[in-house]
Amino acid sequence: MRRHRVAITGLGAVTPAGVSGDDFFARLLAGESFIRLHTVDEPPGPVAQPAVRCDAFDASALLGRPLASATDRSVQMALAACFEAWQQAGLTREERAVRPDFGVAWGSALGSSSTFERGYKEMWQNGRERLPPMSVVMGMSNAAASQISIQLGLANASLTYVAACASAASAIGEGYRRIRDGEATLMVTGGGDVPLGYATMKAWEALRVIALADADGAPASCRPFHPGRSGLVLGEGAATLILEEWEHAVARGATILGELAGYGTCSDASHLVRPDPAGQVRAMRLALADAGLSPDDVDYVNAHGTSTIEGDAIEIASLRELFGERAGEVAVSATKSMHGHLMGAAGAIEAVATVLALQQDALPPTANLDTIDPACAGVRHIVDAPLVGSGARVALSNSFAFGGCNAVLAFRKAEA
Amino acid sequence: MDILTVIRNFLHDRLGVDPARITPDTTLAELEIDSLMLVELIFECEEKFKVAFDRDTRTPANIGELIAIVEEFLATAKPVKAEAPAQE
Repeated sequence: MRRHRVAITGLGAVTPAGVSGDDFFARLLAGESFIRLHTVDEPPGPVAQPAVRCDAFDASALLGRPLASATDRSVQMALAACFEAWQQAGLTREERAVRPDFGVAWGSALGSSSTFERGYKEMWQNGRERLPPMSVVMGMSNAAASQISIQLGLANASLTYVAACASAASAIGEGYRRIRDGEATLMVTGGGDVPLGYATMKAWEALRVIALADADGAPASCRPFHPGRSGLVLGEGAATLILEEWEHAVARGATILGELAGYGTCSDASHLVRPDPAGQVRAMRLALADAGLSPDDVDYVNAHGTSTIEGDAIEIASLRELFGERAGEVAVSATKSMHGHLMGAAGAIEAVATVLALQQDALPPTANLDTIDPACAGVRHIVDAPLVGSGARVALSNSFAFGGCNAVLAFRKAEA
Repeated sequence: MDILTVIRNFLHDRLGVDPARITPDTTLAELEIDSLMLVELIFECEEKFKVAFDRDTRTPANIGELIAIVEEFLATAKPVKAEAPAQE
């Protein structure tokens, strides 16, 4: 089978920096944390956590009222990120277009659960006996992929991947495979999640892995690899990568932002929440082998790095094992320290950061990392400031999820 | 509130349609109301007027026919149980 190269021709991101992958990345390079204390005051009692909210996101302004009023917030963010990426890719939106070679692969851990949470509240708190007729189609798990497909006329595969924190990385990887194997010419890929509903926050609170509000202020609450790290920070948002068959992109004169060169996925098959270095190393090796690369080729790793006590140390142990004696030379950062953990969208927002890091030759730092936990030492942590001008050409973006799902993306700087 | 006003308010809130554009002669096609949107519109009328449409209710071609259907139900159909208003 002929193997097709896969170009990245468009990026989109919905974060507190607005609907802009470039603005988002500029804020990461500045080491700016989006984390604030978020309180939801509802019966039976308020819940407050450090979190990342896109307070200025205005769906009606971005999407128009008909579309905004028929979609869950996670889908609204997904559409906004896709429209941005679509435009950046130099593609035009035409009404009722049907593009059989273009598809969508979308990831979300929670999907449109906010719609159902609101419905349950209406019934059980407010005594309503009926739910609005749009509840099913707004709340279905593939609502985002469906709307993206309809709005952009994507008539190839329309697929939704649910793999907890590896959802978006899986979606990007599986979308990449469709192009690599000649089944599609272009795939809109990425993920979106809104994990800040009352019940969702309470569920995470019960698991005892949410970061405590830091003494230095809420923005410093997520400290991957730091000895004082206390847990992860939930965040909402969406991010998109337009993946395109290389020659197709060149033929239409598209700007190529980077190359998705490989994808590796596997399962730990061992524990629901405790990651396994063997599975993580296997996923990274699979991604590199798929890309025709070796561990020696890797310059930068955008780590899964959630800021949990166990997870961070295990991931660094996996990197030490993969890179061996070279581990100390490989630049590593965990950008969740700034944008939080976007759950099913994490792999997408981090993929956007990784592609831009290679393109701009500026690797973002891990924020709040003034001291490195000895259990997380042995790699070249990027601290304080971005690593600029390192000449990085190859990067991995890691997503290691609850359930033992591992998904790793291998990116290469755009070169003809 | 009269039926036309309820329909106008709903379509304005949901689709941003100028209420002045909506008259009894306006067709559903002109307003781009498809089968899914019609279900929403029927639900809105049921909620506001506390009636329940039969599943085999005829499909109206224009706003005037929809108003007539609601009026028929108001005159003949058994009312549904009143509910607490929706929280926006």
